[in-house]
Amino acid sequence: MYAYDTFDRNIIDARVAEFRDQVERRMKGELTEEEFRPLRLMNGLYLQLHAYMLRVAVPYGTMSSKQMHRLADIATKYDKGYGHFTTRQNIQYNWPKLVETPDILTELADVEMHAHQTSGNCIRNTTTDQFAGATRDEVEDPRPYAELIRQWSTFHPEFSFLPRKFKIAITGAGQDRAAVKWHDIGLILRKNTEGEIGFEVIVGGGMGRTPVIGKTIREFLPEADLLSYLEAILRVYNEQGRRDNKYKARIKILVDALGAEEYGRLTEAEWHKIKDQHIDVPEEEVARIKAFFTPPPLPVLSDDVEEVDTFARENFIFKSWLENNTNPHKVLGHVNVTISLKPHDGIPGDATDAQMHFVADLAEKYSQSEIRVSHEQNLILPHVAKKDLPEIWKALDANGLGSANVGLLTDMIVCPGMDYCALANARSIPIGQAIADRFDDIRRLQDIGPLKLKISGCINSCGHHHAGHIGILGVDRRGEENYQISLGGSGAEDATKAALLGPGFDEHGIVDAVEKVVAVYLGEREEGEEFLATYRRLGPTPFKEAVYDAD
Amino acid sequence: MTLINLSGIHSETYRELENDELPATGESVLVSLGQLQENSTSIFELTSSVGVIVNTETPYADLEEFVGRVAFVDIRFPVFGDGRGFSLAVRLRKDFGFKGEIRASGHVLPDQALFLLRAGFDSVDAPDERHEAFEAALKRFGAFYQTDMIGHGKSVAHLRHSADKDKSATQKAG
Ligand code: SF4
Repeated sequence: MYAYDTFDRNIIDARVAEFRDQVERRMKGELTEEEFRPLRLMNGLYLQLHAYMLRVAVPYGTMSSKQMHRLADIATKYDKGYGHFTTRQNIQYNWPKLVETPDILTELADVEMHAHQTSGNCIRNTTTDQFAGATRDEVEDPRPYAELIRQWSTFHPEFSFLPRKFKIAITGAGQDRAAVKWHDIGLILRKNTEGEIGFEVIVGGGMGRTPVIGKTIREFLPEADLLSYLEAILRVYNEQGRRDNKYKARIKILVDALGAEEYGRLTEAEWHKIKDQHIDVPEEEVARIKAFFTPPPLPVLSDDVEEVDTFARENFIFKSWLENNTNPHKVLGHVNVTISLKPHDGIPGDATDAQMHFVADLAEKYSQSEIRVSHEQNLILPHVAKKDLPEIWKALDANGLGSANVGLLTDMIVCPGMDYCALANARSIPIGQAIADRFDDIRRLQDIGPLKLKISGCINSCGHHHAGHIGILGVDRRGEENYQISLGGSGAEDATKAALLGPGFDEHGIVDAVEKVVAVYLGEREEGEEFLATYRRLGPTPFKEAVYDAD
Repeated sequence: MTLINLSGIHSETYRELENDELPATGESVLVSLGQLQENSTSIFELTSSVGVIVNTETPYADLEEFVGRVAFVDIRFPVFGDGRGFSLAVRLRKDFGFKGEIRASGHVLPDQALFLLRAGFDSVDAPDERHEAFEAALKRFGAFYQTDMIGHGKSVAHLRHSADKDKSATQKAG
């Protein structure tokens, strides 16, 4: 993992001191709320429906046990004993007091964490594959580049006041678990024929009211040129992105207006002017950062472990968990374990302080003190020896974290919705819970197989419903909550937009609709065919008929 | 309003011209870009000490013909979050090699002082009571992750691997 040096340390300490001063000026009345607002937003502090909300960055979703323990302590001391892991691999606290927020930032800085660039119209926390550096299907670990981007984008003198927020995602694996094509900039690590590392550069993806899948403007960008190229993309956007209407201010709208080809041309022209201006860091710096991400020295073991197989034969839930919640590691005999934060009746992504401490302890024992957060709001223990799995699962299960539903229908992304969010049109969490209630049998879920269900409480799409195999959107219909269902979206390498199936439903009707959709799939699927493939083969008609014709 | 000097540049006093007004001979004046585009010949005949006011919407290419002839550029922010003003300053420095004064006026926040300086601004025209806050904000950070636009600040990444690294790393520990 990356560790701060004196430079990083001084910068973060100065930032905390600055924020403490700003909060003091606010408390003394020297700053009005209007003046304070942009300053607090630069530090991840939002004003929500009931209280302030502090969003803390987990840079590229990687943290240590020590950091997780600290997040738990903060939840105990400054919040109501829990935190919420988000689709941006961050954690949110829903109940901090304004006066205490500088202390929270101090405690975070102490473990090399921060809350800047988790809000405001700046370059946000770069997200990546939750299995980065540990998964078998990877070209190269994306995290050193994410760290490079983190540093370059921190308090950028030119790009801290963009037309709108700006999100970058990067993956190094063949299977895209970071939804890179749905981001303002998506980067895919590639090797060219000479074996050199570089990036495919994708721009203009995004959700919200105008969902767009990003377009490739460069097939191969040498790794040494990453930052100058990003700077060129950002300069074009900062100058030409719309500022008259916040719904049209994201880069996707500009890319659409100019055309991806023209956007690429403008970027290339700008890049050629600036590529030798010392924007990119020296080679030694890339090497320095990469050294922090050297894979842990794991012994090569066998992938077949007798005890694991025996226990799986005896315990169906463990067998499902093994199948769904583990991902093959680079080193034989190891896996990456996903801990589902979607327990039955829980709030997706929420973790209590006790659970956070518990996961941090597990990581110390089994995963090199390393923990990841996925954009699907789960926690990951990377680098786990396969032989430890029965023990780990038993411990998780005893702590209410043994759910085997990763990748299945109840492993949903659900935005906070009306329960927390000031922008919401409808509740999301209770809808997710009602669906989970309807599908509470692991055998049934296992039979249905991989299915991504995503729920947003308004068109801002924080719940990624556009990318859901089944996407649900809460809207306001003449003062009533109404839920629309869309099918066929994907956030993976074959990214597609989900298509609206028809008119919406009330909160009960939507649960029935999901069940009918699933029933059509079960009836029509071919041997081994997953939900998305069946939908793509059949199109919407049979689903539409089942959902709307019955009554 | 007071003038806050971010970069330590020597700043002249300029008088803002009314619409269609012409400068006295040798007078230091400030004119809008539109006015300059219309009357540049007569204005430059009367004085060489000209500053131009541009708004953040101005395409940077419109400034090219005047860059070698104006002494300073005043970028007016309608609202602090209009980041185009920052790119405009960067363009003046990087693309046109402009060496004169760049001033920020209009709505800018004290907490933006270092962003402004590092994007290439020299000075800010701000309400008197903001002066102190600007000065304080300027002193907040001692090192930065980016090479700045005015060419003297090296990025942290470059400092880490250069000879003067130890000095700079400890410079601002407190
Ligand atoms: S999708 Fe809408 S309701 Fe849900 S969190 Fe985002 S803004 Fe709030």
